[in-house]
Amino acid sequence: MPALTFKNVSKNFGDHSVIKAFNADIHDGEFLVLLGPSGCGKSTLLRMIAGLSDITSGDLRFDGQIANDWEPKRRGVAFVFQTYALYPHMTVRENIAFPLIMDAFRKWYHLPVVNIIARHRLMRRSDIAERTLKMARQLELEPLLDRRPASLSGGQRQRVALARALVRDPSLYLLDEPLSNLDAKLRTQMRSEISALHNKVGKTFVYVTHDQVEAMTMASRIIIMDKGVVQQVDTPDNVYDNPANTFVAKFIGSPPMNLIPASVRPSGLMLSGEIAVEHREALPSRREAMFGIRPEKLELKPVGEGRLPARVAVIERLGAETVIGCRFITGKDDAGELLIEQDLVFVRVSGNPKMQIGEACSLDYRSEDVLWFDVDTGQRLS
Amino acid sequence: MLKVLRYLLIGLLVVLAGFPVYWMATTALSLNSELYGTGQVIWPQLQNLPELWRELGQVPIGLWLFNTLLIAAGGTVLSLTLGSLAGYALSRFRFHGKGLVGFLLFMTQVVPEALILVPLYAMFITFGLLNSLIGLVLANVGFSLPVACFVLKGAMDAVPYEIEESAIIDNCPRFSVLTMIILPLIMPSIAAAAVVAFFAGWNEFLFASTFLMDRGNWPASVGLASFVGQYETPMSAVMGAALVFSLPAVVFFLLIQRKIVAGLTAGAVKG
Amino acid sequence: MTGSKIRNGMTRLVPYAFILPPMIYLMVFMFWPLARQMYMSLTNTKIINPNRGRFIGLGNYERLFDDPAFYLSLKVTLLYAVLAVIFGVALGVISALAIDRPFKGRSIVRAILLFGWAVPNVAASLIWLWMYNDRSGIFNRITEFAGIGRFGWLTSIDLALASIVAVTVWQVAPFVMLVVLAALQSVPHEVREAARIDGADGLSTFRAVTLPHIRPAVQLASLLVCVWSIRRFDIIYLLTGGGPVGTTSTLVVKIRQTAFEGHELGMASAYGAVGLVLALAIAAVHYLAEQRRMKWMSR
Repeated sequence: MPALTFKNVSKNFGDHSVIKAFNADIHDGEFLVLLGPSGCGKSTLLRMIAGLSDITSGDLRFDGQIANDWEPKRRGVAFVFQTYALYPHMTVRENIAFPLIMDAFRKWYHLPVVNIIARHRLMRRSDIAERTLKMARQLELEPLLDRRPASLSGGQRQRVALARALVRDPSLYLLDEPLSNLDAKLRTQMRSEISALHNKVGKTFVYVTHDQVEAMTMASRIIIMDKGVVQQVDTPDNVYDNPANTFVAKFIGSPPMNLIPASVRPSGLMLSGEIAVEHREALPSRREAMFGIRPEKLELKPVGEGRLPARVAVIERLGAETVIGCRFITGKDDAGELLIEQDLVFVRVSGNPKMQIGEACSLDYRSEDVLWFDVDTGQRLS
Repeated sequence: MLKVLRYLLIGLLVVLAGFPVYWMATTALSLNSELYGTGQVIWPQLQNLPELWRELGQVPIGLWLFNTLLIAAGGTVLSLTLGSLAGYALSRFRFHGKGLVGFLLFMTQVVPEALILVPLYAMFITFGLLNSLIGLVLANVGFSLPVACFVLKGAMDAVPYEIEESAIIDNCPRFSVLTMIILPLIMPSIAAAAVVAFFAGWNEFLFASTFLMDRGNWPASVGLASFVGQYETPMSAVMGAALVFSLPAVVFFLLIQRKIVAGLTAGAVKG
Repeated sequence: MTGSKIRNGMTRLVPYAFILPPMIYLMVFMFWPLARQMYMSLTNTKIINPNRGRFIGLGNYERLFDDPAFYLSLKVTLLYAVLAVIFGVALGVISALAIDRPFKGRSIVRAILLFGWAVPNVAASLIWLWMYNDRSGIFNRITEFAGIGRFGWLTSIDLALASIVAVTVWQVAPFVMLVVLAALQSVPHEVREAARIDGADGLSTFRAVTLPHIRPAVQLASLLVCVWSIRRFDIIYLLTGGGPVGTTSTLVVKIRQTAFEGHELGMASAYGAVGLVLALAIAAVHYLAEQRRMKWMSR
């Protein structure tokens, strides 16, 4: 039985439909990433799992039971917020212990003066104190236990948020873009830490991000969304090699897949309406299609050697490899009019070739590396 | 040149604003013979301080201030308690009638006290609250509760909602979210709201003078006002008492002026 | 802000659990008395027996609208409010502009300028009474010294209202100053600097940048001062008791007089009703103006 099931779940804010007919199964113990651009509804989905937002229609099931109306505490989930949402007026120790204390509170403990006394007593209770300490040690927070969140660095706050989530040993972990507020280096480090954590803990992780690198490196499965609609549900490898549509193709991979409008002629292929290409194998059976090829599958060759004549417009040197943006040489020469470069075709080349901006070159490819998409719907053609 | 004018203007404003208080001090430090007979001395005569101290004994300022303190403190506690509940509801929830509630709270700032004076008087007679400090506190809170509510609501609005969501996920019920998470985070605003409510009770005159018959229950405002229109007023003692009465209000207002303005204007704008 | 919360069964009631205690309190101690007051204005209740009055419909109002004292009090109220607003706001704005830029001793100056607002009403009444005093008051001593003779500041028909306005202005200007100062200091430096870089001089910067920025604050302050003036009782009652000859009897003062000196609660309530309507009307005008301005801003 899958840990979580979404059945035809939709969400409206007033008239505005944020999520449309979402269906998915989330398996026990997997690391599922909800990936998509801002506003696609991924955070809303996460909040619906947690019980922080309600579901307009459809069923959400926890282990088979319909859980639409369950209070957050009944669901037994842990939530790590993008902004960590640590309690600013409590120490790290108190932050981590808070869920445990809340679980230990009896109903009448919540009265105004009683709650202060109860909190102090419970903080000192042996089991709670021990668990807090153990958690802090596991995440290397022990020296920080008596500090307040304001005096911690971003990475440290991140770990406190994780500790607070972990301390209750929940069955489901929900993480809402936890790494977006960290700088690049820290992000890379925390990525591996979270992955390791998942391996250790073995519970189900649902992770929301807009960063495809995070998704690709951490996920066991990815659900890609756009504007409330699922685009593809698959493993990272499949999402990369077999994108379901142009949206996925462009979203995954950096630089994104090159998508060039093409027409199929009896004589061969016409790219961008102007370049005739010798290409006979594996052509789609329609007249118009989108020609898609990943930058690393394009080959950069000197002028005349490749099938596609081009001129270099942009060069990005990344050290171990170089990304070169080219413009096809079509015969029309209006490239100099615009101040910014658009609609470039990107090639990934290893090393550091000596190219200059404006230099002529040519590109080539293998037919089996080309992915074809429908021009109107963007769906992949097989 | 412009600068000189500016300083002149500032000097003028300072004189206009400060003179009455200065005069209060000077009058307190004068002898009654000077005040009524020979002509008041313009400079404060500090040598009269011991005399003033003795004269203050004539006026039951101690008892009055004690009553004032009770009234003000009682009103503050009640206003803050109810005001934080209302503020939280307005800040975090959507519910039927929310607009109406906002309007009603706003209304309380428009209603003249004198308007409900009479019905409250009638009500207090019926419930035997007429001569009591408790009744007075209950009447005062009606006006300071909404102010406390708006000040606190403004502060609560600034607390990120995610912190509460985090607490809810951590199994914390809403009421405790308010008491354990939100309130500790808005302490400065609570202090400001407390000061506003406190001095609303401290300064209050109309209700106190109408509802309290017993001289022993009089707060300082009523006690001092009883000297108005008297012929043989021991003016220096009265002024001394008035200064003592004013001092806490002035001190505290100076301390939190910014917050009060923010709270009052926020409430009024939101309506 | 609130997201869309899960509301089912018991949890649906949670907001009401929070809002009901304060609202019930206000119902009991504010709105029910208010409603009773409105009803009382339709009766002939006397103070001797506040719970026993006969319904007489609009009788009180008929008498009210026939009574010249009523029109006088209405006129006095409006005049008082208008004067308090004009002079109070003017003085407040001037004060704010004067101390906007930092200078040595600014905090002390600012503290002194706040005295009027901070001093309790009763204490203020006492000192101003003393200053206005016929024989021994400082004002008359100054005018005598200057050769203009003595004045009945609080007893003269011509001067009484003006004297009360003066005290009110002293009390109210500091509040206006604070409100305007807050607005002034929220004018972002960059905007002023940008204007300067674009070539504007001091006065045009003031007109183009500063003035629009403080206009909402000034409007808000004016509204509050206006509403407070209609409500104000302590100062007026203690300084003049509503005299001489009703020249300082605002509606609110009349309520007290009619109820406790004239012993007629029903009539007093009628006065009160008029006062309330007036205050509400002003607040409504302000509210509508705000709405219109908001709509205009988001065109």
